[in-house]
Amino acid sequence: MKEYILEVHSLSFTYPDGTRALRDVNMKIKPGEITAILGGNGAGKSTLFHTLNGILKPSKGQIVFEGKPIDYSRKGLIELRKSIGIVFQDPDNQLFSASVYQDVSFGLMNLKLPEEEVRRRVNEAINRTGIVNIKDKPTHSLSFGQKKRVAIAGVLAMEPKVLILDEPTAGLDPKGVSEIMTFLKEIQQELAVSIIISTHDIDMVPIYCDKVFVMNEGEIVAHGTPEEIFQDIDRIRSVNLRLPRIGHLMEILKEKDGFHIDSLPLTISKARRALIRNRLKDIFKIKTLKDNRYQQK
Amino acid sequence: MLEKMISIDRYAYNSKLRYIEPLQKLIFSLLTLAVGLWADNIVISIIIFSIMIYATVYYGGIPIKYYFKLLLIPMTFLFISVITLVINISHNPENFLCYFRIGSSFIGCSKTGALKVLLLFFKVMASVSCLYFLSLSTPIIDFLAALKKLKVPKLIIEITGLIYRFIFVIMETAENMFRAQNSRLGYIDLSTAYRSLGTLISNLFIRSYKRANELYIALESRGYDGEINVLQQEYKRGKKLYFYTALINILLLIIALITKGRWPSL
Repeated sequence: MKEYILEVHSLSFTYPDGTRALRDVNMKIKPGEITAILGGNGAGKSTLFHTLNGILKPSKGQIVFEGKPIDYSRKGLIELRKSIGIVFQDPDNQLFSASVYQDVSFGLMNLKLPEEEVRRRVNEAINRTGIVNIKDKPTHSLSFGQKKRVAIAGVLAMEPKVLILDEPTAGLDPKGVSEIMTFLKEIQQELAVSIIISTHDIDMVPIYCDKVFVMNEGEIVAHGTPEEIFQDIDRIRSVNLRLPRIGHLMEILKEKDGFHIDSLPLTISKARRALIRNRLKDIFKIKTLKDNRYQQK
Repeated sequence: MLEKMISIDRYAYNSKLRYIEPLQKLIFSLLTLAVGLWADNIVISIIIFSIMIYATVYYGGIPIKYYFKLLLIPMTFLFISVITLVINISHNPENFLCYFRIGSSFIGCSKTGALKVLLLFFKVMASVSCLYFLSLSTPIIDFLAALKKLKVPKLIIEITGLIYRFIFVIMETAENMFRAQNSRLGYIDLSTAYRSLGTLISNLFIRSYKRANELYIALESRGYDGEINVLQQEYKRGKKLYFYTALINILLLIIALITKGRWPSL
Protein backbone atom coordinates (compact mmCIF):
# COMPACT_ATOMS: atom_id res chain seq x y z
CA MET A 1 0.00 0.00 0.00
CA LYS A 2 1.20 3.47 -0.80
CA GLU A 3 1.87 5.76 2.06
CA TYR A 4 -0.52 8.44 0.86
CA ILE A 5 -3.73 7.88 -1.01
CA LEU A 6 -4.24 11.50 -1.93
CA GLU A 7 -1.65 14.21 -2.35
CA VAL A 8 -2.18 17.84 -3.21
CA HIS A 9 0.84 19.72 -4.50
CA SER A 10 0.93 23.53 -4.45
CA LEU A 11 -2.65 23.82 -5.61
CA SER A 12 -4.05 27.21 -6.54
CA PHE A 13 -7.47 28.08 -7.81
CA THR A 14 -8.81 31.42 -8.97
CA TYR A 15 -12.46 31.94 -9.80
CA PRO A 16 -13.34 33.78 -13.02
CA ASP A 17 -14.25 36.86 -10.97
CA GLY A 18 -10.70 37.01 -9.64
CA THR A 19 -11.27 35.55 -6.19
CA ARG A 20 -8.26 33.52 -5.22
CA ALA A 21 -9.99 30.72 -3.39
CA LEU A 22 -6.96 28.47 -3.01
CA ARG A 23 -3.36 29.56 -2.66
CA ASP A 24 -0.55 27.09 -2.84
CA VAL A 25 -2.30 24.33 -0.91
CA ASN A 26 -0.28 21.26 0.04
CA MET A 27 -1.91 18.24 1.60
CA LYS A 28 -1.20 14.59 2.09
CA ILE A 29 -3.86 12.14 3.16
CA LYS A 30 -3.09 8.69 4.50
CA PRO A 31 -5.41 5.82 3.67
CA GLY A 32 -8.00 4.95 6.31
CA GLU A 33 -7.81 8.16 8.28
CA ILE A 34 -10.44 10.73 9.12
CA THR A 35 -9.10 14.13 8.16
CA ALA A 36 -10.76 17.37 9.12
CA ILE A 37 -10.37 20.54 7.12
CA LEU A 38 -10.96 23.23 9.68
CA GLY A 39 -11.69 26.75 8.61
CA GLY A 40 -14.07 29.64 8.98
CA ASN A 41 -16.63 30.63 6.37
CA GLY A 42 -15.04 31.41 3.04
CA ALA A 43 -11.73 29.77 3.90
CA GLY A 44 -11.80 27.76 0.68
CA LYS A 45 -12.91 24.40 2.02
CA SER A 46 -15.65 23.80 -0.52
CA THR A 47 -13.47 24.94 -3.41
CA LEU A 48 -10.78 22.53 -2.28
CA PHE A 49 -13.30 19.69 -2.25
CA HIS A 50 -14.54 20.55 -5.70
CA THR A 51 -11.00 20.35 -7.03
CA LEU A 52 -10.42 17.00 -5.29
CA ASN A 53 -13.37 15.51 -7.16
CA GLY A 54 -12.30 17.03 -10.46
CA ILE A 55 -15.32 19.32 -10.66
CA LEU A 56 -13.00 22.32 -10.72
CA LYS A 57 -9.70 22.20 -12.52
CA PRO A 58 -6.95 23.92 -10.53
CA SER A 59 -5.29 26.99 -12.04
CA LYS A 60 -1.95 25.75 -10.75
CA GLY A 61 -0.60 22.68 -9.04
CA GLN A 62 -1.44 19.05 -9.06
CA ILE A 63 -3.59 16.48 -7.33
CA VAL A 64 -2.17 13.00 -7.09
CA PHE A 65 -4.48 10.12 -6.37
CA GLU A 66 -2.93 6.73 -5.60
CA GLY A 67 0.36 7.87 -7.02
CA LYS A 68 -1.07 9.15 -10.30
CA PRO A 69 -1.92 12.75 -11.13
CA ILE A 70 -5.60 13.34 -11.89
CA ASP A 71 -6.45 12.82 -15.52
CA TYR A 72 -8.98 15.44 -16.58
CA SER A 73 -10.15 13.59 -19.65
CA ARG A 74 -13.72 12.31 -19.61
CA LYS A 75 -12.68 8.78 -18.92
CA GLY A 76 -10.16 9.81 -16.31
CA LEU A 77 -12.78 11.81 -14.44
CA ILE A 78 -15.20 8.91 -14.43
CA GLU A 79 -12.49 6.72 -12.95
CA LEU A 80 -11.67 9.38 -10.38
CA ARG A 81 -15.28 9.81 -9.31
CA LYS A 82 -15.62 6.09 -8.83
CA SER A 83 -12.91 6.29 -6.20
CA ILE A 84 -13.54 9.69 -4.66
CA GLY A 85 -17.10 10.33 -3.57
CA ILE A 86 -18.34 13.68 -2.37
CA VAL A 87 -21.35 14.46 -0.21
CA PHE A 88 -22.50 18.05 -0.57
CA GLN A 89 -23.52 20.33 2.20
CA ASP A 90 -27.16 20.85 1.25
CA PRO A 91 -28.81 17.48 0.63
CA ASP A 92 -31.60 19.21 -1.29
CA ASN A 93 -29.04 20.06 -3.96
CA GLN A 94 -27.88 16.51 -4.18
CA LEU A 95 -31.06 14.44 -4.01
CA PHE A 96 -32.58 14.70 -7.45
CA SER A 97 -35.16 11.97 -7.16
CA ALA A 98 -38.30 11.85 -5.08
CA SER A 99 -37.54 8.21 -4.37
CA VAL A 100 -34.88 7.31 -1.83
CA TYR A 101 -34.19 4.03 -3.54
CA GLN A 102 -33.77 5.60 -6.97
CA ASP A 103 -31.47 8.27 -5.67
CA VAL A 104 -29.18 5.80 -3.94
CA SER A 105 -29.01 3.69 -7.11
CA PHE A 106 -28.05 6.60 -9.38
CA GLY A 107 -24.26 6.49 -8.97
CA LEU A 108 -24.21 2.72 -9.29
CA MET A 109 -26.20 2.76 -12.50
CA ASN A 110 -23.68 5.22 -13.90
CA LEU A 111 -20.94 2.73 -13.10
CA LYS A 112 -22.82 0.37 -15.46
CA LEU A 113 -22.89 -2.41 -12.91
CA PRO A 114 -25.21 -5.39 -13.41
CA GLU A 115 -28.63 -4.98 -11.83
CA GLU A 116 -28.13 -7.60 -9.14
CA GLU A 117 -24.94 -5.96 -7.97
CA VAL A 118 -26.67 -2.57 -7.93
CA ARG A 119 -29.52 -3.92 -5.82
CA ARG A 120 -27.13 -5.57 -3.40
CA ARG A 121 -25.10 -2.40 -2.94
CA VAL A 122 -28.16 -0.16 -2.66
CA ASN A 123 -29.59 -2.36 0.07
CA GLU A 124 -26.27 -2.48 1.86
CA ALA A 125 -25.90 1.31 1.77
CA ILE A 126 -29.48 1.74 2.96
CA ASN A 127 -28.88 -0.63 5.85
CA ARG A 128 -25.56 0.89 6.77
CA THR A 129 -26.82 4.46 6.88
CA GLY A 130 -29.85 3.43 8.90
CA ILE A 131 -32.51 4.63 6.49
CA VAL A 132 -34.37 1.36 6.06
CA ASN A 133 -37.46 2.75 7.76
CA ILE A 134 -37.66 5.74 5.42
CA LYS A 135 -36.71 4.12 2.14
CA ASP A 136 -40.31 4.05 0.87
CA LYS A 137 -41.00 7.66 1.75
CA PRO A 138 -40.64 10.46 -0.79
CA THR A 139 -37.54 12.59 -0.23
CA HIS A 140 -39.57 15.76 0.23
CA SER A 141 -41.19 14.39 3.37
CA LEU A 142 -37.89 13.65 5.10
CA SER A 143 -36.24 15.74 7.79
CA PHE A 144 -32.93 17.46 7.15
CA GLY A 145 -30.97 14.80 9.03
CA GLN A 146 -32.70 12.02 7.13
CA LYS A 147 -32.00 13.70 3.79
CA LYS A 148 -28.37 13.96 4.81
CA ARG A 149 -28.25 10.23 5.44
CA VAL A 150 -29.83 9.50 2.08
CA ALA A 151 -27.24 11.74 0.43
CA ILE A 152 -24.46 9.85 2.20
CA ALA A 153 -25.99 6.49 1.23
CA GLY A 154 -26.01 7.57 -2.42
CA VAL A 155 -22.28 8.20 -2.34
CA LEU A 156 -21.37 5.33 -0.04
CA ALA A 157 -23.10 2.84 -2.32
CA MET A 158 -20.45 3.59 -4.94
CA GLU A 159 -17.90 2.19 -2.47
CA PRO A 160 -15.37 4.97 -2.87
CA LYS A 161 -11.87 4.78 -1.45
CA VAL A 162 -12.05 8.38 -0.34
CA LEU A 163 -15.24 9.85 1.04
CA ILE A 164 -15.43 13.63 1.13
CA LEU A 165 -18.14 15.31 3.16
CA ASP A 166 -18.73 19.04 3.01
CA GLU A 167 -19.90 20.16 6.44
CA PRO A 168 -21.56 16.88 7.36
CA THR A 169 -22.69 18.13 10.75
CA ALA A 170 -23.92 21.61 9.80
CA GLY A 171 -27.57 22.10 10.62
CA LEU A 172 -27.95 18.91 12.63
CA ASP A 173 -29.03 18.66 16.25
CA PRO A 174 -26.50 17.35 18.82
CA LYS A 175 -27.83 13.81 18.55
CA GLY A 176 -27.70 13.98 14.77
CA VAL A 177 -24.10 15.19 14.90
CA SER A 178 -22.91 12.39 17.13
CA GLU A 179 -24.86 9.82 15.11
CA ILE A 180 -23.34 10.94 11.81
CA MET A 181 -19.84 11.13 13.22
CA THR A 182 -20.07 7.78 14.98
CA PHE A 183 -21.34 6.34 11.74
CA LEU A 184 -18.39 7.81 9.84
CA LYS A 185 -16.00 6.36 12.41
CA GLU A 186 -17.68 3.00 11.93
CA ILE A 187 -17.35 2.92 8.17
CA GLN A 188 -13.79 4.17 8.49
CA GLN A 189 -12.98 1.16 10.64
CA GLU A 190 -15.06 -1.42 8.80
CA LEU A 191 -14.46 -0.41 5.19
CA ALA A 192 -11.05 1.25 5.64
CA VAL A 193 -12.20 4.32 3.71
CA SER A 194 -10.31 7.58 3.99
CA ILE A 195 -12.71 10.26 5.08
CA ILE A 196 -12.21 13.98 4.60
CA ILE A 197 -14.66 16.34 6.23
CA SER A 198 -14.81 20.09 6.31
CA THR A 199 -16.14 21.64 9.44
CA HIS A 200 -16.02 24.56 11.79
CA ASP A 201 -17.37 22.46 14.64
CA ILE A 202 -14.19 22.59 16.66
CA ASP A 203 -15.33 20.51 19.62
CA MET A 204 -15.98 17.54 17.37
CA VAL A 205 -12.52 17.47 15.78
CA PRO A 206 -10.44 16.01 18.65
CA ILE A 207 -13.05 13.34 19.32
CA TYR A 208 -13.42 11.90 15.83
CA CYS A 209 -10.56 13.04 13.62
CA ASP A 210 -7.07 11.68 13.16
CA LYS A 211 -5.62 14.60 11.26
CA VAL A 212 -6.45 18.25 10.89
CA PHE A 213 -5.65 20.83 8.25
CA VAL A 214 -6.43 24.39 9.24
CA MET A 215 -7.36 26.65 6.36
CA ASN A 216 -7.56 30.39 6.22
CA GLU A 217 -8.13 32.58 3.18
CA GLY A 218 -7.30 29.78 0.80
CA GLU A 219 -4.14 28.70 2.53
CA ILE A 220 -3.26 25.80 4.79
CA VAL A 221 -1.94 27.50 7.90
CA ALA A 222 -1.39 24.47 10.08
CA HIS A 223 -1.64 20.71 9.93
CA GLY A 224 -1.10 17.74 12.20
CA THR A 225 -2.98 15.69 14.76
CA PRO A 226 -5.63 17.56 16.77
CA GLU A 227 -3.30 17.56 19.80
CA GLU A 228 -0.51 19.17 17.80
CA ILE A 229 -2.77 21.72 16.18
CA PHE A 230 -4.38 22.97 19.34
CA GLN A 231 -1.12 23.35 21.27
CA ASP A 232 -0.37 26.41 19.15
CA ILE A 233 -3.15 28.47 20.65
CA ASP A 234 -2.13 31.80 19.20
CA ARG A 235 -2.14 30.57 15.65
CA ILE A 236 -5.59 29.00 16.04
CA ARG A 237 -6.96 32.26 17.37
CA SER A 238 -5.33 34.31 14.64
CA VAL A 239 -7.43 32.52 11.99
CA ASN A 240 -10.80 33.18 13.64
CA LEU A 241 -11.00 29.76 15.25
CA ARG A 242 -10.81 28.82 18.88
CA LEU A 243 -9.80 25.95 21.11
CA PRO A 244 -12.30 23.21 21.82
CA ARG A 245 -14.30 24.24 24.91
CA ILE A 246 -12.68 21.53 26.99
CA GLY A 247 -9.22 22.67 25.86
CA HIS A 248 -10.08 26.25 26.72
CA LEU A 249 -11.21 25.27 30.20
CA MET A 250 -8.07 23.28 30.77
CA GLU A 251 -5.96 26.19 29.56
CA ILE A 252 -7.60 28.50 32.12
CA LEU A 253 -7.19 25.94 34.89
CA LYS A 254 -3.55 25.64 33.98
CA GLU A 255 -2.73 29.32 33.58
CA LYS A 256 -4.85 30.86 36.31
CA ASP A 257 -5.50 28.18 38.90
CA GLY A 258 -2.18 26.43 38.99
CA PHE A 259 -3.28 23.01 37.81
CA HIS A 260 -0.49 20.80 36.61
CA ILE A 261 -1.29 19.98 33.03
CA ASP A 262 1.43 19.20 30.53
CA SER A 263 -0.28 19.06 27.16
CA LEU A 264 -3.78 20.47 26.76
CA PRO A 265 -6.41 17.71 26.94
CA LEU A 266 -9.07 18.29 24.28
CA THR A 267 -11.68 15.64 24.99
CA ILE A 268 -13.75 14.99 28.07
CA SER A 269 -12.07 11.69 28.82
CA LYS A 270 -8.56 13.11 28.59
CA ALA A 271 -9.50 16.16 30.65
CA ARG A 272 -10.97 13.89 33.28
CA ARG A 273 -7.79 11.89 33.46
CA ALA A 274 -5.71 15.04 33.84
CA LEU A 275 -7.93 16.38 36.60
CA ILE A 276 -7.94 13.10 38.49
CA ARG A 277 -4.16 13.05 38.27
CA ASN A 278 -4.12 16.55 39.75
CA ARG A 279 -6.41 15.55 42.57
CA LEU A 280 -4.39 12.48 43.37
CA LYS A 281 -1.30 14.63 43.46
CA ASP A 282 -2.99 17.02 45.89
CA ILE A 283 -4.20 14.25 48.14
CA PHE A 284 -0.80 12.74 48.08
CA LYS A 285 0.80 16.09 48.89
CA ILE A 286 -1.55 16.77 51.80
CA LYS A 287 -0.94 13.30 53.11
CA THR A 288 2.80 13.69 52.95
CA LEU A 289 2.50 17.07 54.66
CA LYS A 290 0.44 15.52 57.43
CA ASP A 291 2.88 12.67 57.73
CA ASN A 292 5.74 15.09 57.97
CA ARG A 293 3.95 17.07 60.65
CA TYR A 294 3.20 13.89 62.53
CA GLN A 295 6.78 12.83 62.35
CA GLN A 296 7.95 16.21 63.54
CA LYS A 297 5.77 15.94 66.61
CA MET B 1 -55.47 23.42 -5.08
CA LEU B 2 -51.81 22.97 -4.29
CA GLU B 3 -52.68 21.63 -0.87
CA LYS B 4 -55.07 19.13 -2.42
CA MET B 5 -52.33 18.07 -4.78
CA ILE B 6 -49.91 17.51 -1.93
CA SER B 7 -52.40 15.54 0.10
CA ILE B 8 -53.16 13.32 -2.90
CA ASP B 9 -49.43 12.77 -3.12
CA ARG B 10 -49.25 11.84 0.54
CA TYR B 11 -52.18 9.43 0.33
CA ALA B 12 -50.69 7.80 -2.73
CA TYR B 13 -47.50 7.00 -0.83
CA ASN B 14 -49.47 5.44 1.99
CA SER B 15 -51.92 3.50 -0.15
CA LYS B 16 -52.09 -0.21 0.49
CA LEU B 17 -52.01 -0.69 -3.28
CA ARG B 18 -48.73 1.18 -3.63
CA TYR B 19 -46.49 -1.83 -4.16
CA ILE B 20 -48.53 -3.34 -6.96
CA GLU B 21 -46.64 -2.90 -10.21
CA PRO B 22 -47.59 0.57 -11.47
CA LEU B 23 -48.08 -0.57 -15.06
CA GLN B 24 -50.86 -2.91 -13.96
CA LYS B 25 -52.61 -0.10 -12.13
CA LEU B 26 -52.19 2.21 -15.09
CA ILE B 27 -53.70 -0.30 -17.50
CA PHE B 28 -56.52 -1.17 -15.08
CA SER B 29 -57.49 2.45 -14.69
CA LEU B 30 -57.09 3.56 -18.30
CA LEU B 31 -58.68 0.53 -19.91
CA THR B 32 -61.70 0.73 -17.65
CA LEU B 33 -61.91 4.44 -18.36
CA ALA B 34 -61.87 3.76 -22.10
CA VAL B 35 -64.56 1.10 -21.86
CA GLY B 36 -66.71 3.44 -19.78
CA LEU B 37 -66.38 6.23 -22.30
CA TRP B 38 -67.04 3.93 -25.22
CA ALA B 39 -70.06 2.25 -23.66
CA ASP B 40 -71.72 5.54 -22.90
CA ASN B 41 -74.21 3.71 -20.77
CA ILE B 42 -75.54 4.70 -17.38
CA VAL B 43 -75.42 1.17 -15.96
CA ILE B 44 -71.81 0.74 -17.01
CA SER B 45 -70.95 4.12 -15.54
CA ILE B 46 -72.51 3.24 -12.20
CA ILE B 47 -70.76 -0.13 -12.13
CA ILE B 48 -67.39 1.42 -12.90
CA PHE B 49 -67.94 4.14 -10.32
CA SER B 50 -68.72 1.56 -7.63
CA ILE B 51 -65.82 -0.73 -8.54
CA MET B 52 -63.34 2.14 -8.45
CA ILE B 53 -64.61 3.49 -5.13
CA TYR B 54 -64.45 0.01 -3.67
CA ALA B 55 -60.93 -0.59 -4.98
CA THR B 56 -59.59 2.78 -3.85
CA VAL B 57 -61.27 2.95 -0.46
CA TYR B 58 -61.38 -0.68 0.59
CA TYR B 59 -58.23 -2.09 -1.00
CA GLY B 60 -56.26 1.13 -1.04
CA GLY B 61 -57.19 2.23 2.45
CA ILE B 62 -58.06 5.80 1.52
CA PRO B 63 -60.52 7.35 4.03
CA ILE B 64 -63.94 7.52 2.40
CA LYS B 65 -64.55 11.00 3.73
CA TYR B 66 -61.43 12.26 2.01
CA TYR B 67 -62.40 10.47 -1.18
CA PHE B 68 -65.75 12.21 -1.39
CA LYS B 69 -64.15 15.52 -0.60
CA LEU B 70 -61.92 14.98 -3.61
CA LEU B 71 -64.95 14.20 -5.73
CA LEU B 72 -66.23 17.68 -4.97
CA ILE B 73 -63.47 19.17 -7.14
CA PRO B 74 -64.87 17.96 -10.50
CA MET B 75 -68.36 18.55 -9.14
CA THR B 76 -67.95 22.33 -9.39
CA PHE B 77 -66.95 22.10 -13.04
CA LEU B 78 -69.72 19.62 -13.67
CA PHE B 79 -72.28 21.89 -12.09
CA ILE B 80 -71.41 24.81 -14.34
CA SER B 81 -71.61 22.76 -17.52
CA VAL B 82 -74.80 21.04 -16.40
CA ILE B 83 -76.70 24.30 -16.05
CA THR B 84 -76.51 24.95 -19.75
CA LEU B 85 -77.79 21.46 -20.48
CA VAL B 86 -80.64 21.48 -18.03
CA ILE B 87 -82.19 24.82 -18.81
CA ASN B 88 -84.03 25.07 -22.07
CA ILE B 89 -86.18 27.68 -23.69
CA SER B 90 -89.24 26.53 -25.58
CA HIS B 91 -92.62 27.71 -26.78
CA ASN B 92 -94.18 24.49 -25.72
CA PRO B 93 -94.14 23.63 -22.00
CA GLU B 94 -95.25 20.01 -22.50
CA ASN B 95 -91.84 18.41 -22.16
CA PHE B 96 -90.84 20.41 -19.14
CA LEU B 97 -90.66 18.97 -15.65
CA CYS B 98 -90.83 22.41 -14.17
CA TYR B 99 -90.81 25.79 -15.82
CA PHE B 100 -91.75 29.42 -15.64
CA ARG B 101 -93.07 31.72 -18.23
CA ILE B 102 -91.47 34.79 -19.78
CA GLY B 103 -93.63 36.43 -22.40
CA SER B 104 -94.66 33.84 -24.93
CA SER B 105 -91.82 31.40 -24.21
CA PHE B 106 -91.12 29.07 -21.34
CA ILE B 107 -87.87 28.62 -19.49
CA GLY B 108 -87.46 25.40 -17.58
CA CYS B 109 -85.98 22.00 -17.16
CA SER B 110 -86.94 19.47 -19.75
CA LYS B 111 -87.26 15.70 -19.30
CA THR B 112 -84.60 14.94 -21.88
CA GLY B 113 -82.40 17.60 -20.34
CA ALA B 114 -82.70 16.04 -16.90
CA LEU B 115 -81.96 12.61 -18.27
CA LYS B 116 -78.92 13.95 -20.09
CA VAL B 117 -77.65 15.48 -16.90
CA LEU B 118 -78.06 12.23 -15.03
CA LEU B 119 -76.15 10.35 -17.73
CA LEU B 120 -73.44 12.95 -17.85
CA PHE B 121 -73.13 13.00 -14.10
CA PHE B 122 -72.45 9.28 -13.82
CA LYS B 123 -70.20 9.25 -16.83
CA VAL B 124 -68.06 11.98 -15.30
CA MET B 125 -68.03 10.27 -11.92
CA ALA B 126 -67.00 6.96 -13.51
CA SER B 127 -64.15 8.62 -15.42
CA VAL B 128 -62.97 10.64 -12.46
CA SER B 129 -63.04 7.62 -10.18
CA CYS B 130 -60.84 5.72 -12.66
CA LEU B 131 -58.27 8.50 -12.54
CA TYR B 132 -58.55 8.81 -8.77
CA PHE B 133 -57.84 5.13 -8.44
CA LEU B 134 -54.56 5.72 -10.25
CA SER B 135 -53.56 8.92 -8.53
CA LEU B 136 -54.46 7.69 -5.05
CA SER B 137 -52.50 4.47 -5.38
CA THR B 138 -49.55 5.42 -7.55
CA PRO B 139 -47.07 8.15 -6.58
CA ILE B 140 -45.53 10.08 -9.46
CA ILE B 141 -42.25 8.18 -9.32
CA ASP B 142 -44.05 4.86 -9.73
CA PHE B 143 -46.18 6.32 -12.49
CA LEU B 144 -43.01 7.41 -14.27
CA ALA B 145 -41.64 3.91 -13.88
CA ALA B 146 -44.72 2.64 -15.71
CA LEU B 147 -44.24 5.20 -18.47
CA LYS B 148 -40.65 4.07 -18.79
CA LYS B 149 -41.87 0.53 -19.35
CA LEU B 150 -44.18 1.84 -22.05
CA LYS B 151 -41.09 3.30 -23.78
CA VAL B 152 -42.06 6.93 -23.34
CA PRO B 153 -39.04 9.09 -24.31
CA LYS B 154 -36.53 9.24 -21.47
CA LEU B 155 -36.20 12.99 -21.65
CA ILE B 156 -39.85 13.50 -20.77
CA ILE B 157 -39.61 11.10 -17.85
CA GLU B 158 -36.43 12.71 -16.53
CA ILE B 159 -37.82 16.21 -16.76
CA THR B 160 -41.11 15.24 -15.14
CA GLY B 161 -39.23 13.52 -12.33
CA LEU B 162 -37.01 16.54 -11.70
CA ILE B 163 -39.94 18.94 -11.83
CA TYR B 164 -41.85 16.80 -9.37
CA ARG B 165 -38.89 16.67 -6.99
CA PHE B 166 -38.19 20.39 -7.15
CA ILE B 167 -41.77 21.58 -6.87
CA PHE B 168 -41.47 20.76 -3.20
CA VAL B 169 -38.04 22.29 -2.77
CA ILE B 170 -39.00 25.52 -4.50
CA MET B 171 -42.31 25.67 -2.69
CA GLU B 172 -40.52 25.43 0.61
CA THR B 173 -38.09 28.16 -0.40
CA ALA B 174 -40.93 30.40 -1.52
CA GLU B 175 -42.82 29.76 1.68
CA ASN B 176 -39.82 30.63 3.82
CA MET B 177 -39.19 33.80 1.84
CA PHE B 178 -42.85 34.76 2.12
CA ARG B 179 -42.80 34.24 5.87
CA ALA B 180 -39.62 36.26 6.24
CA GLN B 181 -41.16 39.11 4.25
CA ASN B 182 -44.46 38.86 6.07
CA SER B 183 -42.82 39.00 9.47
CA ARG B 184 -41.26 42.30 8.43
CA LEU B 185 -44.65 43.61 7.30
CA GLY B 186 -43.94 43.07 3.62
CA TYR B 187 -47.61 42.54 2.91
CA ILE B 188 -49.05 45.34 5.00
CA ASP B 189 -50.88 47.06 2.14
CA LEU B 190 -51.49 46.39 -1.49
CA SER B 191 -48.62 48.36 -3.03
CA THR B 192 -46.11 46.91 -0.57
CA ALA B 193 -47.49 43.47 -1.21
CA TYR B 194 -46.96 43.85 -4.97
CA ARG B 195 -43.41 44.98 -4.44
CA SER B 196 -42.66 42.15 -1.99
CA LEU B 197 -44.18 39.57 -4.29
CA GLY B 198 -42.08 40.91 -7.16
CA THR B 199 -38.84 40.55 -5.24
CA LEU B 200 -39.93 37.14 -4.01
CA ILE B 201 -40.49 35.88 -7.52
CA SER B 202 -37.27 37.30 -8.94
CA ASN B 203 -35.32 35.94 -6.00
CA LEU B 204 -36.91 32.56 -6.48
CA PHE B 205 -35.70 32.55 -10.08
CA ILE B 206 -32.15 33.39 -9.08
CA ARG B 207 -32.11 30.77 -6.36
CA SER B 208 -33.55 28.13 -8.65
CA TYR B 209 -30.88 28.92 -11.21
CA LYS B 210 -28.17 28.53 -8.58
CA ARG B 211 -29.74 25.37 -7.30
CA ALA B 212 -29.85 23.91 -10.79
CA ASN B 213 -26.13 24.57 -11.10
CA GLU B 214 -25.40 22.92 -7.81
CA LEU B 215 -27.58 19.96 -8.66
CA TYR B 216 -25.67 19.55 -11.89
CA ILE B 217 -22.35 19.55 -10.02
CA ALA B 218 -23.69 17.00 -7.55
CA LEU B 219 -24.96 14.77 -10.33
CA GLU B 220 -21.66 15.04 -12.17
CA SER B 221 -19.71 14.01 -9.11
CA ARG B 222 -21.70 10.80 -9.10
CA GLY B 223 -20.88 10.09 -12.70
CA TYR B 224 -23.79 11.78 -14.52
CA ASP B 225 -23.25 11.46 -18.26
CA GLY B 226 -26.31 13.10 -19.74
CA GLU B 227 -28.79 10.45 -18.76
CA ILE B 228 -30.38 9.88 -15.41
CA ASN B 229 -30.29 6.14 -14.96
CA VAL B 230 -31.83 4.79 -11.83
CA LEU B 231 -33.02 1.45 -10.64
CA GLN B 232 -36.69 1.06 -9.83
CA GLN B 233 -37.65 -0.31 -6.52
CA GLU B 234 -38.99 -3.82 -6.82
CA TYR B 235 -42.74 -4.13 -6.78
CA LYS B 236 -44.88 -7.00 -5.63
CA ARG B 237 -44.65 -9.92 -7.97
CA GLY B 238 -47.79 -11.31 -9.54
CA LYS B 239 -50.12 -10.35 -12.31
CA LYS B 240 -53.36 -10.54 -10.37
CA LEU B 241 -54.50 -7.09 -11.34
CA TYR B 242 -54.11 -7.89 -15.05
CA PHE B 243 -56.48 -10.77 -14.51
CA TYR B 244 -59.03 -8.58 -12.73
CA THR B 245 -58.66 -5.89 -15.38
CA ALA B 246 -59.46 -8.39 -18.12
CA LEU B 247 -62.32 -9.96 -16.18
CA ILE B 248 -63.98 -6.68 -15.23
CA ASN B 249 -63.67 -5.16 -18.65
CA ILE B 250 -64.97 -8.23 -20.48
CA LEU B 251 -67.98 -8.29 -18.16
CA LEU B 252 -68.51 -4.59 -18.74
CA LEU B 253 -68.37 -5.10 -22.50
CA ILE B 254 -70.93 -7.90 -22.31
CA ILE B 255 -73.27 -5.83 -20.15
CA ALA B 256 -72.82 -2.90 -22.49
CA LEU B 257 -73.70 -4.99 -25.53
CA ILE B 258 -76.73 -6.60 -23.88
CA THR B 259 -78.18 -3.34 -22.62
CA LYS B 260 -77.35 -1.43 -25.75
CA GLY B 261 -80.38 0.42 -27.05
CA ARG B 262 -82.48 -0.57 -24.07
CA TRP B 263 -80.97 2.03 -21.87
CA PRO B 264 -80.91 5.68 -22.74
CA SER B 265 -77.57 7.02 -23.74
CA LEU B 266 -76.15 10.43 -24.37
